[in-house]
Amino acid sequence: MPKLQRRDYYDTARDMNWAFSYVNEDEVFPEELSKSFGIKGDEWWGWDEPYKLTYREYVHNQAGKDDGIYSIRSTIARSNLYDNLDVGWKSAIKAHYGAIPVPEYFASIGEARMARFGRAAAWRNMATFGTLDECRHGQAQIYFPYCLLGKDPQFDWAHKAMHTNEWGVIAARSLFDDMFTANDAVSTAIQLTFTFETGFTNLQFLGMASDALHVGDIEFGALISSIQTDEARHSQQGEPTLRIMIQNGKKAEAQKLVDQMFWRSWKLFALLTGISMDYYTPLESRTMSFKEFMQDWICRQFMDQFKDLGMDLPWYWEKHFLPELDWVHHAYHLGVWFWRPTVWWNPDAGVSAAERDWLEQKYPGWNARFGKLWDVIADNVRAGRIGKTYPATLPIVCNCCHIPICSPSVGQAPRITSHNGRKLSFCCEVCEWVWKSQPERYDTHLSVVDRFLAGQIQPPNLEGALQYMGITPEVAGNDAEGYAWNRMASLAAE
Amino acid sequence: MALFPLQANFRGDFVVLLIPVDDGDDMTAVAEKVAQHSIGLRVVDTGAPKRVYYNGKELPPRMTVKESGIPPMDWIEVAYVG
Repeated sequence: MPKLQRRDYYDTARDMNWAFSYVNEDEVFPEELSKSFGIKGDEWWGWDEPYKLTYREYVHNQAGKDDGIYSIRSTIARSNLYDNLDVGWKSAIKAHYGAIPVPEYFASIGEARMARFGRAAAWRNMATFGTLDECRHGQAQIYFPYCLLGKDPQFDWAHKAMHTNEWGVIAARSLFDDMFTANDAVSTAIQLTFTFETGFTNLQFLGMASDALHVGDIEFGALISSIQTDEARHSQQGEPTLRIMIQNGKKAEAQKLVDQMFWRSWKLFALLTGISMDYYTPLESRTMSFKEFMQDWICRQFMDQFKDLGMDLPWYWEKHFLPELDWVHHAYHLGVWFWRPTVWWNPDAGVSAAERDWLEQKYPGWNARFGKLWDVIADNVRAGRIGKTYPATLPIVCNCCHIPICSPSVGQAPRITSHNGRKLSFCCEVCEWVWKSQPERYDTHLSVVDRFLAGQIQPPNLEGALQYMGITPEVAGNDAEGYAWNRMASLAAE
Repeated sequence: MALFPLQANFRGDFVVLLIPVDDGDDMTAVAEKVAQHSIGLRVVDTGAPKRVYYNGKELPPRMTVKESGIPPMDWIEVAYVG
């Protein structure tokens, strides 16, 4: 019997949509899990994507990818490649490993929800692959740092981080729970696959793979490149979902979903990727600044695609997002460094004389806003007053993004408001808008400062906070270079 | 006399801090409690006197927290005079 060509059977086999007669549509696709946005069942059946992969092909491809990355890991394990990596880069990958691998499993939950409650068979088929993809990403990104545990106990946080109440983890988990662990299928497609993956991670992973190769981290580069090939495929679930919403008059609803999650994603992206690119990546390996990366990759490429679909720029684009490209990750970096015992990696100050020149060139005004604060820190380090380079209280944390509230200029107040008698603090107008656009989703979640004030953190001091966050002495962050950046700055000054 | 949490930052610093004060503290004491987390740590110590600002207005140095009417966890700014 002759074998059919894939094109002759694929759509028929994949598009197993039918009208229900024994049950009604709400029973098959409960709104809470699926959410129709009022679009009727068969309107979704035109959902299509460009990859058109069979399960047999998928397994074959994925096995090949795993063979590739695990072979590289095995080979590199016999070398001293890791030992020779720049200390700042090591911090960048530790931050990544703590924040990303376990949330890959969260993402597989979101994908599995689409695989069951997505409103078209083609979509459910694609989401099944996505579920498996995310499990693969979780497994690989936990196994690779596990292999480095003998060299550095901070890699333990690749698995541990998401099971703790460390402040950055609270921020990341809040975002990921909102976007995929606890989201309906349609919103997940718009927010996870279109906004977050197409907009941020797919592009970020390309950039990180490139940076990894520049610094000589072949292992991490291979891992991230392999993951990116999956992301490029399963992120395609967003666009057809968005098209169907627009065709059915739900552009405003889709726009709101994108606007909410683009902002939330941006804040965490600035925290993780912003400081890694502009402070942790060795100066000689930097191909572009974080701002340039955002302008070239996110602003231009992603937003061009976004506008081609007939969507508008988020309402906060000019007033809030573009201005934050100039300053917010510099503030986050200073905070992470100063509160360094509260993170599971060793922050690289990244403010040697040459690095400061680069920062001022890439971000005119950096010296006037942030450099002068680093000057005081540097004076203390030079004078041996290390105690003055550590914090003695908590920063106030935003009730939406859960990142400390920083300001771009002097005299800018946090946005303090209340909801049902609860006092809330936000870092900016957009975080307040996101929170207030669906308070029922957020109003039971306490920030780390709320928990401190509620007496959940005992004793109520830095020691108690570290204990609450699960930070133990062997992983508590310290300056990545043992303050060598400052000695070099002193020599340059002399 | 009771513990009284405020949000505060010293003008020129980059982050808003949780500052526990006492409701019987006057604004001179409040300014010092805020300053100790910024001055000489990230903000240059000029030795100049400091003042507390709330809703854009400078509060008298001898006014206590209780007298000021500032609610718990509201935001104040502390700055050098001049």
